[in-house]
Amino acid sequence: MGNDIITYIQKLELFGFFSGYCLIYTLIYFLKGENNSKPKLLINRLATLLPYAYALTATLYLGMFIKNISLDFSIQNFQDQFRVPFLEIWALLAVFFWIPLFNKKTVFSLIHSLVFFGFLVQEFFINMNSPVGKEAIHNYMKVFTDSLLLNLTTLALVTFTYFFLLYFGKKRKSFS
Amino acid sequence: MKLFSNKTLLALLLLLSGFGYITSCTHENDVLPAPASNAVVINRGNAVLLPGTMTKGDTTQWKLDKAHSSVLWQTNYVGLAGLLTGRFNQFGMHNVTDAEMQNYVGSGQPLMDTSWAFYENDPSKTYFSGYVQMNQANTGEPGRDGGCLLTSFGTTPIVAGTQNLTVTNIARIKTTKVEFDPLSEDYIVTLNLTWQGPLATPLTESIVGKLKYIRRATVNAGTASAYDVFGLQLTFQFNCRDYGVTSTSISDNVQIECNMNFNNK
Repeated sequence: MGNDIITYIQKLELFGFFSGYCLIYTLIYFLKGENNSKPKLLINRLATLLPYAYALTATLYLGMFIKNISLDFSIQNFQDQFRVPFLEIWALLAVFFWIPLFNKKTVFSLIHSLVFFGFLVQEFFINMNSPVGKEAIHNYMKVFTDSLLLNLTTLALVTFTYFFLLYFGKKRKSFS
Repeated sequence: MKLFSNKTLLALLLLLSGFGYITSCTHENDVLPAPASNAVVINRGNAVLLPGTMTKGDTTQWKLDKAHSSVLWQTNYVGLAGLLTGRFNQFGMHNVTDAEMQNYVGSGQPLMDTSWAFYENDPSKTYFSGYVQMNQANTGEPGRDGGCLLTSFGTTPIVAGTQNLTVTNIARIKTTKVEFDPLSEDYIVTLNLTWQGPLATPLTESIVGKLKYIRRATVNAGTASAYDVFGLQLTFQFNCRDYGVTSTSISDNVQIECNMNFNNK
């Protein structure tokens, strides 16, 4: 990974989209507890919807990524969008959580997000001993907070859509 | 999640996030405490510094240390570019009367530097007069000092062994009012600048300048050769066109800085 400003911004973007999810995931599973016997409880439903929310976050990231590439159709711009190739490709793979094969095991989404959280923690330890580094951590934590908010929003959106579809699905059945 | 229970992971994530938030706390967004006061803090002493008769060895009488003093001028070259700077080699702190405006034989200043008084805490009693010999302007370029500058100043070349204090060769200042500067420890000085230059007769203009007092201090303290020093720094500017200077090599505005050092040896 390079140390230039574009690389730094791209890392911030990645952390902003994906690093907060793991905390929300563990929190929901903590609230859910071991009790899986009442699938109708909202918290149990949220737990199953988590990978979809994560997939939505990844789709938003994909949208931003495509927008950045479409601003300038050149090889140079394409290369510039891949300053952190490993993390970016890993991030884009999260779109596959829309597919039932991948979202059936919700823990996969946690593992996916933990990679970003791990890199975020690594940045803490690299930067914590210098005043300039502290500013960098300050930015990372702002972005981490944004990530928490973004992932909560996507979860709320997915949950709303789920119940919306459930409600209209039932209504359609009652009409037919 | 058998290997690593959810609770443990949550605790770890919370711990690391908390650590990140604490480490990133720079207090940059904190509102700064209100200043204790917005008033300018001015501390003036009660020094009264007078020249007396400049009797050598009398520590109550202050003498101008000309060797360590200077009168400097600066103006923008052609009114647009960087600064042209120079100094006057011969100057003094004497209120030169009409009768005293003549040529004097000798290498030092012929008049006593006694036309001044400084009261640190009572500027109404502070006053000073001074003069420079215009043909003694020194820019470090002999061709300029002995050539075009003399023409611009409307004066005559230096005559060796002579101090030219005639009306065409001296510029004089004399304070008319000295008052406290409300924004600093300095003083606002209103003075008359009298200079003939290329004009037919001398012109006097009232000018406002700033006077800074550099506090009295002891040199070689604790020894038999101890003595005290203090400084007065006067800065002001004037429009040389008013005095008939037409040279386009210099700007209209000429800034003057007088650094006067005194001792009581």
